[in-house]
Amino acid sequence: MADKNVQRLPAEELYQTELDALISAETDIIPTGWRMSPRSVLTYLTGNVKVKGVDITPKYMGNRRLVEIAIATLVTDRALLLIGEPGTAKSWLSEHLTAAVNGDSTKVVQGTAGTTEEHIRYSWNYAMLIAKGPCPEAMVKSPVYRAMETGSIARVEEISRCASEVQDALISILSEKRLSVPELGLEVPAAKGFSVIATANTRDKGVNDMSAALKRRFNIVVLPTPSDMETELDIVRTRVAQLSNGLDLNARQPDEDTVEKVVTIFRELRGGATLDGKQKLKTTSGVLSTAEAISLLANSMALAGSFGDGRVSDGDLAAALQGAVVKDEENDKVTWKEYLENVMKKRGHEWLPLYRACRELNG
Amino acid sequence: MGGPILFGVRHLSPAAAYHLRRALDAAQPELVLVEGPSDLNDQMKWLCHPDTQFPAAIMAYTKEAPVRTILWPFSVYSPEAQAILWANEHKVECRFMDLPSSVFLGIKPWFAPVTEENETGEDDGPGGSAAKSSEEPPTTESVYRRLETLTGEDHDTFWERTFEQIEGGPDFQEANNTFGRQLRAATVDDQRRMAETIVREAHMKRVIQQAVDSGIPAEKIFCVCGSFHVAGLEENQPMTDEEEAALPRADCCATLMPYSYYRLSSRSGYGAGNKAPAYFELLWDALNRGGVGEAAYLYLTRLAAAHRKAGNLTSSAEVIEAVRLADTLAAMRGSKYPTLSDLRDASVTTMGHGSFSELALAAADTEIGKKIGFLPEGVARTSVQEDFYRQLKELRLEKFRTAELQRLDLDLREKLNVKSEQAALGDLRRSFFLHRLRVLGVHFANLLPSRQDGANWGEYWELRWTPEAEIEIVESALMGETIEGAAAFALKERADNSGSIAEAAAIFQDAFLCGMPAAASHALSVLQGLSVDSAAISEVAETASRLSLVVRYGDLRRFDPAPVIPLIKQLYLRSCLTLADACVCDAKAAPEVTRAMDQLNALQLGHDFLEESRWLDLLADISDRDDLNTRCSGFAMAILLERGKADEALLSREVARRLSPGVPADLGAGWFEGLAGKNRYALIARLSLWRQLDDYLSGLDDETFRRALVFLRRAFADFSPSEKNDIAENLGEIWGVNPQQAAEVLMNDITETEQAVLDSLDEFDFDDI
Repeated sequence: MADKNVQRLPAEELYQTELDALISAETDIIPTGWRMSPRSVLTYLTGNVKVKGVDITPKYMGNRRLVEIAIATLVTDRALLLIGEPGTAKSWLSEHLTAAVNGDSTKVVQGTAGTTEEHIRYSWNYAMLIAKGPCPEAMVKSPVYRAMETGSIARVEEISRCASEVQDALISILSEKRLSVPELGLEVPAAKGFSVIATANTRDKGVNDMSAALKRRFNIVVLPTPSDMETELDIVRTRVAQLSNGLDLNARQPDEDTVEKVVTIFRELRGGATLDGKQKLKTTSGVLSTAEAISLLANSMALAGSFGDGRVSDGDLAAALQGAVVKDEENDKVTWKEYLENVMKKRGHEWLPLYRACRELNG
Repeated sequence: MGGPILFGVRHLSPAAAYHLRRALDAAQPELVLVEGPSDLNDQMKWLCHPDTQFPAAIMAYTKEAPVRTILWPFSVYSPEAQAILWANEHKVECRFMDLPSSVFLGIKPWFAPVTEENETGEDDGPGGSAAKSSEEPPTTESVYRRLETLTGEDHDTFWERTFEQIEGGPDFQEANNTFGRQLRAATVDDQRRMAETIVREAHMKRVIQQAVDSGIPAEKIFCVCGSFHVAGLEENQPMTDEEEAALPRADCCATLMPYSYYRLSSRSGYGAGNKAPAYFELLWDALNRGGVGEAAYLYLTRLAAAHRKAGNLTSSAEVIEAVRLADTLAAMRGSKYPTLSDLRDASVTTMGHGSFSELALAAADTEIGKKIGFLPEGVARTSVQEDFYRQLKELRLEKFRTAELQRLDLDLREKLNVKSEQAALGDLRRSFFLHRLRVLGVHFANLLPSRQDGANWGEYWELRWTPEAEIEIVESALMGETIEGAAAFALKERADNSGSIAEAAAIFQDAFLCGMPAAASHALSVLQGLSVDSAAISEVAETASRLSLVVRYGDLRRFDPAPVIPLIKQLYLRSCLTLADACVCDAKAAPEVTRAMDQLNALQLGHDFLEESRWLDLLADISDRDDLNTRCSGFAMAILLERGKADEALLSREVARRLSPGVPADLGAGWFEGLAGKNRYALIARLSLWRQLDDYLSGLDDETFRRALVFLRRAFADFSPSEKNDIAENLGEIWGVNPQQAAEVLMNDITETEQAVLDSLDEFDFDDI
């Protein structure tokens, strides 16, 4: 069972009670290989209801329709590709989708420049290979291989960071739904329920753009940045609360005002204009995603908990903001300074302490 | 069955239209009553004409200005239209039963807020009171809102999922009537709306009662009305004769007009339109082919075809995946067949790579479509409409009567290689026609700016037919029987109301462009009368140059310029007398004066009958005087230079005088700005001038230099890069540096520090200038 000392539990363990409640309350038809019906998966992800006395927390806030499309894609046994700016909850959504569908979100291939074809297909335990020759025991199956065998969903993270030959390895798997192991004379057919959820980053588009052939095998869902202030506030608030419970930060929740300030700053710098649209702003080199806002707040809570009085002060916040906004010394520093002087300074007394703290740091 | 059959429909609903036809087949009524204006029954026969193509609309309009209009749009999938068509096919009598159009137009001012009477009038489709619900915040609307929050889908999707997919006729009728009844029970509309609903239902009931009285058995009467009205028709009492006589009436006419899917889609209030007319037609086709389920295939294949046509790759495999995904999405929402939103989301995911923008063009084509209606010749039209269509045919412009924007380039010159005079001047006659429409405010043709330099025989138009244009044509019926007559009336009215000579001159020019000499001479006489009063120089110059155009190019448009010449002379003389005084002005007004000078110069150059010496003397005087705005003086000098009436010595003397160290910087620089306003090559070519300017600038102290900078910067702002390059060469010569280096400095974008200095100049205090 769930080990309390693990830094980060997989979704299916963290939300086990919710999943169990949904499974036991199931009334709809369950697709082969799934643990619950598509509609229950949707309920698990969008939350805000009580099932059998268990509160289902919302996992993905924002466009409900996008979640529907994602789930429907998996029902049709098509592969799903989630695209979006960094920090738009792509991996988060993919993890929870697999947790709900299979109760297992750990079949992951992390796409990097160093990912090889073996990570997608299979590799060998060389000691055993030399000792026994090619045999099933000597084979090291990739997560995709295991997903095919068990009829579950494999995840490929940051697919556009993989080299194209690695991406191409997926094509035959997705179109033939079989994997051949010539060394053993094996053809492994995918069991029903097998699918792949891949995520890709729009900022990395140029690194290894996906081929048309591969793209064609995916249904593509673009995850947007939160459309309005309220949604984003909601996301940040919920996630910060969840995080601080998990991480034992020893600090109080940042108050409403602080969250709002951070989200305002992020949205304005991201959008290149003040929220009222009256003033144009320079944008920073970083993305300033919602995920960053969340980690920023957690970061300042850690500062407050460890070195302060447990209350997130303006100084803590300013330090965290400085780190989040100024990624590229030269340009971002100027942008941040301009923002401080032109926007924040003129916002009135509520913003004044934060402004002073930021200014001090930014010299 | 006691009473008449009441078939509740949703206006513009394919399923309602489909099931309605089945219900009519089953009932075999003797009389079909349709919710629509009861005084316009004779329009029905045109809707049934074999050449009529939907969408079409019945339009009623008041006879006096301001024209108020009311529209009843019909599409091929309108239940009303299908009821009328069915009756026609089966030789069964069919009538409208709602309030007469005259009453609708008569009560509108009471019922609708005054500010948007025209809007509301048009919005009120056959849907009646419920139709307007999207405009104001009534309670019917709040029920819709509530439904939207409950289902998480917009109302159209809710309707499509819940009602359009019902496959059994009786089920549909029952569901629809129940929905109407419950909607009615759940809402308490404000009094104004309630009153209108009750009056309308009482009238419908009255028409039903009259039919029963005339001997038709009640169960053989088939009523097609909005499902909202079903309960009302069951409960309310018919209107009495006295009540009927007491209804307010407006004097009005009616006509049938072609409609467009685009307009149906942009008017999305309930009953008045729907967001995706082409998709709904497709639903209608699907129903008649084999069932609602067909629609998904039709939609997706059409979308793919349109997407390919727009130059994109779309494989059949993607279409297949889209069908599968749409079906799954529909299943997740609990419906049997996908709705438009499912289909669209599925195609975005599979064909559009996740972003709707990729598919937007194809989606607009498949969902809204470019279809426009067509009415056969002889349809009851206003005479202006008749004239419009006759001329359209005569001038071979019919192919432009589409919903798509099309270009038309006209060559106004007489074509010498054709036989008849008609053909030789074909383009000119087209131009007259289009200009007349423009004068009438009919948005059918849009004149593009001329691309010709120095010639005037080309005219470039963009044409697009819209139902709005048709309405505007009908509206102009008040002004005359023909397009020309109406245009003449409009021009005369405008001329009589014009208050300034510029306005009158514009009207004269319009009349000239329309090829209407009588209207032109009327405008001219008005202009003459107005020109006696004093007017600003800029206005006089503008007027004179407009008139000048007519004299110069009148021939092209077969226009006799003789009556215009005396007026031009008069205006020319007036300007010459007042120009010097006008040059006493501040920096703000100076550009206007220099513009007038430029126009007058062109005027004088263009016409021999204007005395040249008077103009040159005047310019010399202005250039010479010190008490005028220096920019004007500089500009006068520039004109003289351009016309070769000032020699090198004079220029050099003037430059020295104007740019001498004692003269305040802003005056000197202002003069230079005027000088640079025209004929720059002459300036650039004179090296001595730049030397003088250089000497002058180096002699200034910092503070005066800043002042001068403001003006100089403005003067050089609109120099083209190549001109700047030439100046750089001059400066290089003077300073003895490499011209390329100088050019580099001049052409560079300004740096931030420079910008800051320049910004500070904006707040520069000019004391008492």
